[in-house]
Amino acid sequence: MTKNKFSLRRAVNNMNLVRFRFWFQIVAFALVVYGGYIGLDLGDKLPTFACVFNGEGTGGKCYVGELQHDLKHPLEGFMGFAGYAFLISLGMFAVWFWALNKGWCGFVCPLGTMQDWLTMLREKTKIRYSEYSWANRGKIKSIKYILLILLLLLPVMIANSVFGLPKLPNGLSMPFCDICPGRMMIPAFTGHFNQFYIDFSSKTDLVMTTLGMIITGLFLVGSFIKKRFFCYFCPMAALQYVFSKPALLKLYKDGSKCTKCGDCYRACDMDILEIADDVTSKNLVTEDCTLCLKCVAACPEEGCLEANFMGATIFESTKEGFILRMAMDQNKENHAH
Amino acid sequence: MHTEHTIETSAERQNRHKAMEAISVINALREDFKSPIHSMGYFYDLFEKVYCHHQPLHEGKAKIGTMCIQIPSEIIYALDGVPIRLCNGFYTDDEIGGDLLPQKSCPLVKATVGWFASDNFSDKPDITFSPTTCDQKTKAGAIIESFGHTVIDVGFPRTKESEESRHYWRESVKSFAVKLSKFQGKKLTRSNLESAIKKVGYAQSLYHKLTEFRKNKAVPILGVDMFLVTNAFFFDKIDEWISAVEKLVVELEQRASEGVNVAGKASPRIVYTGSPPIFPNYKIPLIIEQSDAIIVADETCSSNRMFNDMVAVDEWNLYDMIDSVSDKYLKACTCPIFTQNDDRIRRIIQLVRSYNGDGVIYQAFAGCQVYEMEQRSVLAAMEKEGIPILYIESDYSPSQHGQLTTRVEAFIESLKNRKRMKK
Repeated sequence: MTKNKFSLRRAVNNMNLVRFRFWFQIVAFALVVYGGYIGLDLGDKLPTFACVFNGEGTGGKCYVGELQHDLKHPLEGFMGFAGYAFLISLGMFAVWFWALNKGWCGFVCPLGTMQDWLTMLREKTKIRYSEYSWANRGKIKSIKYILLILLLLLPVMIANSVFGLPKLPNGLSMPFCDICPGRMMIPAFTGHFNQFYIDFSSKTDLVMTTLGMIITGLFLVGSFIKKRFFCYFCPMAALQYVFSKPALLKLYKDGSKCTKCGDCYRACDMDILEIADDVTSKNLVTEDCTLCLKCVAACPEEGCLEANFMGATIFESTKEGFILRMAMDQNKENHAH
Repeated sequence: MHTEHTIETSAERQNRHKAMEAISVINALREDFKSPIHSMGYFYDLFEKVYCHHQPLHEGKAKIGTMCIQIPSEIIYALDGVPIRLCNGFYTDDEIGGDLLPQKSCPLVKATVGWFASDNFSDKPDITFSPTTCDQKTKAGAIIESFGHTVIDVGFPRTKESEESRHYWRESVKSFAVKLSKFQGKKLTRSNLESAIKKVGYAQSLYHKLTEFRKNKAVPILGVDMFLVTNAFFFDKIDEWISAVEKLVVELEQRASEGVNVAGKASPRIVYTGSPPIFPNYKIPLIIEQSDAIIVADETCSSNRMFNDMVAVDEWNLYDMIDSVSDKYLKACTCPIFTQNDDRIRRIIQLVRSYNGDGVIYQAFAGCQVYEMEQRSVLAAMEKEGIPILYIESDYSPSQHGQLTTRVEAFIESLKNRKRMKK
């Protein structure tokens, strides 16, 4: 307690994470959505929703778009150049991802940020959030994997006849992008509302663009009432999770210090129960985790949860930080008693 | 001068006996130890005022009785009530309760029932909420009700791992809040609950500051003093408690910087666990500290468990706060009533590690079945960790003092030897 009162470590652990994250997300949002205007180009393998459809505005592009494009080759192509290209792209994606792990979701993803803004708006209106029921959560979890498999399989089926099935129409070349709310929402921030349309040119396009419009509507309404509504279904999260273990940024838990008070679970936007109840695992980055670190900020146990980068603790839970963040450090006069 | 001879009523006799029990403990705390703490005076006086002079503290306020720690005091404060925890440590009351309950029941429950039976309170609860924690407390609620008190059961689950339990308990707490709100004729609002959570949180943060000093090599405060401070929270005015502890923190800071040690240089550091020491039943803690050991931490519902976990809220709206409060009182609880209780073992080990404990003393009241049943598993776990542990069974009676002292002293001697060997 009487350790170094002015250390950097202490300042970081005592920080107001909500405010830090708010500004970090704004900067990340600006770079991803408007970076193109200042010539920023981070390539097309970003492990986050930097939308391809954002035209000149985008500071980088989402790998899911690239991935679907890569897969639209006849099988022979994969045995040669297209296969190498695919592997190199995937490698690039993995390298980007390893730097921040799921932190891409919690700190960078523009679609995630938009959901957090909608949550803030709801908080202002004092409307209570809703939760998925526990019976449904298990089912919801698998949807992102189904979406991932579809987005991998459908493009392949355009150029190839899989299991003797007929080839799919070209309109399905980017099946996920068609239904991703990012395609409409992100360009809208650079003044391009041209993605809000229903394409009547073919049956496939009609179905996919209609689905896209419906899902965008759901996205807006859903994330207003449920924190990070869309992230439960995100196939990018599923893809990321495959690469998550070797990533450099980690969320570690020291189970021996955990009192299972559930404070972290209360703070978790993704309702991840393991964060509170699992006292044996060390690495607590689960498939739904967005590494937003709200759990670390909400943990009152000294050093129980920590964000760790390449073996070095960068932010950890402390009693002092908890008390400051919960504004429990002062006995205000205006309290009820 | 009034010299007429009067015959003492039974209530007066009880109070005289209770005052004798209380003052002997207060005096022991005041006088038996070296380097007394000036700001502990507030607490000694408080206990003397309430238990020796029978002075009420909360006249004009609604007194909300609670039977265990699971009834959220945040909600009681928000609704303008005063929580009075009715867990009792008086042998006098234990004896009264002994006539009403089976001989082998827990002395704490007997004493609580005896207290109600004698209807002899300085601050009588207007209504009592009884969480259905252990069997004896649950049945005691019904017995107390038969004396004409209003007792309302608050359903408490016995498994805490399941989502069903979490859900059930959240509903229980909501229903408790509704009933109390009706009783008080006051609405639970976002703002009054928020300030109550922050106020109790602040009180807890002060307690955490106190515990930090106990990690020091030279421990500036006795374990028995800490029990007194936390026990005062059972019934004291929260604002006065807060300012008294603020002063205590300042004095401890001073003592810590001067390296004041209330124990000896070689005194073994004890982590205390088991049935709760509740004033004036400080029998075992006093024996421990009078035998040249120091209690540096505890895992009991009258102290560390009561104060340790703080409520965290993500969105300060009413229902989110109620859920947060509920979760804290269920999920963090390490009471042995739960079916699975690895959490308690982990907690004890963690306390030994972080407070640099030399050994554990596990005390169970004879008749407190859940603590008695759990002792084997705790003993096995400590053995596995290489932590010396002593298991003691005791009750509220002043007898067995010699026998208990011998056992505790022997254990402490063995810890000292162990320490010497290590050097």
